[in-house]
Amino acid sequence: MGPPIPTEALLRTDSGRGSDSSLVTDDCSLKPLLLFEHASKWYGPVLALNQVTLELTGGITGLVGANGAGKSTLLRLATGQIAPTLGRVTVRGTDARDWRARRLVGYCPDADAFYEDLSGRRFVRVMARLCGYARREADRRTDAALDLVGMTGRADRPLRGYSKGMRQRVKLAQALLHDPELLVLDEPLSGIDPVGRQDLLGLFRQLAATGKCLLVSSHELEALEKLTDHVVVMARGRVAAVGTLQQIRDRLDDYPLSVRVEVDRPREVARRLLALPEVVGVEVDAAGLVVRAHHPKRFFAAFGRLTVEDGWEVRRLEPLDESAHAVLGYLLGGSGRT
Amino acid sequence: MASDTVFQSSIANHKSDISPARAFWALVLLSFERQWRVRQVGWAAAGLLALIVTAVAVETARPTRWGFADRPIRRGGMTYREYAAALRPAARYNALTDPIEEEKDFFTTRRPRAAEYPSPLDPTRDALKSLILSVPSVVLSTDRYGADWAFLNFTRLAVLGAYLSFVLPLFTLAYASGALGADREDRSMVWLLTRPVPRWAVYLAKFVGALPWCLLFSGGGFAAICLAGGAPGRTALGLYWPAALGGTVALAAVFHLFGALFRRPVVVGLVYVFFFEFLVAALPGSLKLLSLTFYARSLMYNEAAAAGYPVGMLAVNQPVSTATAWAVLAAAAAAVTGLGMWLFSRAEFRDDV
Repeated sequence: MGPPIPTEALLRTDSGRGSDSSLVTDDCSLKPLLLFEHASKWYGPVLALNQVTLELTGGITGLVGANGAGKSTLLRLATGQIAPTLGRVTVRGTDARDWRARRLVGYCPDADAFYEDLSGRRFVRVMARLCGYARREADRRTDAALDLVGMTGRADRPLRGYSKGMRQRVKLAQALLHDPELLVLDEPLSGIDPVGRQDLLGLFRQLAATGKCLLVSSHELEALEKLTDHVVVMARGRVAAVGTLQQIRDRLDDYPLSVRVEVDRPREVARRLLALPEVVGVEVDAAGLVVRAHHPKRFFAAFGRLTVEDGWEVRRLEPLDESAHAVLGYLLGGSGRT
Repeated sequence: MASDTVFQSSIANHKSDISPARAFWALVLLSFERQWRVRQVGWAAAGLLALIVTAVAVETARPTRWGFADRPIRRGGMTYREYAAALRPAARYNALTDPIEEEKDFFTTRRPRAAEYPSPLDPTRDALKSLILSVPSVVLSTDRYGADWAFLNFTRLAVLGAYLSFVLPLFTLAYASGALGADREDRSMVWLLTRPVPRWAVYLAKFVGALPWCLLFSGGGFAAICLAGGAPGRTALGLYWPAALGGTVALAAVFHLFGALFRRPVVVGLVYVFFFEFLVAALPGSLKLLSLTFYARSLMYNEAAAAGYPVGMLAVNQPVSTATAWAVLAAAAAAVTGLGMWLFSRAEFRDDV
């Protein structure tokens, strides 16, 4: 795997909205809301997260990446469910594993496991009681949270009969109970119908407008694009890129991408590719050729056109830089594969 | 969706309203409420208890009533009481004059053995022989002896055998291992781990919430077995209930730890019960000191001895003193719970593997 796209300047993630200091915090002396410092996580011999450094201070940040890219591990570290093998994860300066840090974090998990025999209202009320609220205050917060996610009239049925969308709303309601500064949402839009999706996106924007910091994970860049243009792209456990989508696209254009091509007539193909303005170099070897090109989107379009026109028999087309590969995959609208 | 105003007024602020102690007791209550569902191993334990209670009730309903005086020496033959009566002088003299009847009467009309024949020509020898051979009949006619034997027999078979070896471990395993094990199985642990409550408090609250069920079912099982046992059972209930509850608490702590550590706590618990609480506890030597039910056995043994019962027939190898047994049970429960709290604070649970 190659090095991540150099985005150090973007690692402080105010996500566009964060530039408005009133949305981040009133007290500038406070430590970052969520801070990953060279955090790595091993599961036995598997490196799930590799030297991640990330800082969140406010607004909405999208977290995208293919399955296995390390998104869920990053979210579990942020919510203190697991500890980093190396490095440090803090919430306002407190170790994320410390229970006091969880007062500042609301978590909406991807897992769809409830106490199925409870009603939605009873479940949220139990979660409020487990936050440490007195009975009356827990009831009040339960009603308010259910109202906020649009479940007031439907919360008295057993959870086992809920649709996916209703379950997501209940999960969101329990995350909001204790008014957390940071909301960590793992795939909150999966399985939601278009109308419900619009409702939830509206709610997320509303929460961000009240000063909350949202970290929203999704493997659908399209959905996140409607919510925020500020994303963290993950690939193979590393942060491949951080910034606005435009910034990432610009950097990707400037960043030469290496692509291995295995084709039947390598020398002829090399000659034709070198004529393209995006291509900056071609190396021919026994296995085929390695092409270095800027503006990957334009390069792949031109390559496809030439393949059809000249009738090349392409056996393999593979970007060699995994970080760029992943970013490119998302920007092209795929799932991390080009 | 609600408006900003609703959100601001209803949810925001009030951080000071959060109390970890309240969260702890809310989790205790939640754990208690969710434990009412009898799990699979709980049904197995209930079935086993029903079988044991039935067997005890049948034994109690028989004329022997846990004693041995009216029990046949051989199937279809004379009882111990009849045998003892046959050894008395009158019976021995009568046997000399009775004609030998058919084969079927061999057991019911017993012929004296050579040593038992009367010796009318040697009055001193005959008197001594009559005196010695009358002892069993005299002993069997003593109420205290019969009651003691029935009590110890009940203790050996029903309490030490069936209850301590099977009912107590299984009921405790069903409820204690499920306190956290059910959350792991249902993948609902995430709701507990993301609350603003210390991890060790989650572990402890789950234990405190599950413990009443362990005590209720283990203690209830013990009471059911004892009440089905008639007079010796009632005596056993009065003497042994503290040991039964003490053993339950200690084993509950162990099984709760299994629930936190293992994906299949019931399987691990059953292996533990079979090897440590069944096999190792019965071994002579110091290995049995590793078994928690050994200390419960020692407590019961000491209670029976203190009540004046001849406890030799209970077959408890080198029991420890009452004080030692209580100290070990209490220390084991506290140490295992402390270890569990420490391990749980550091454990990582992944619901995707």
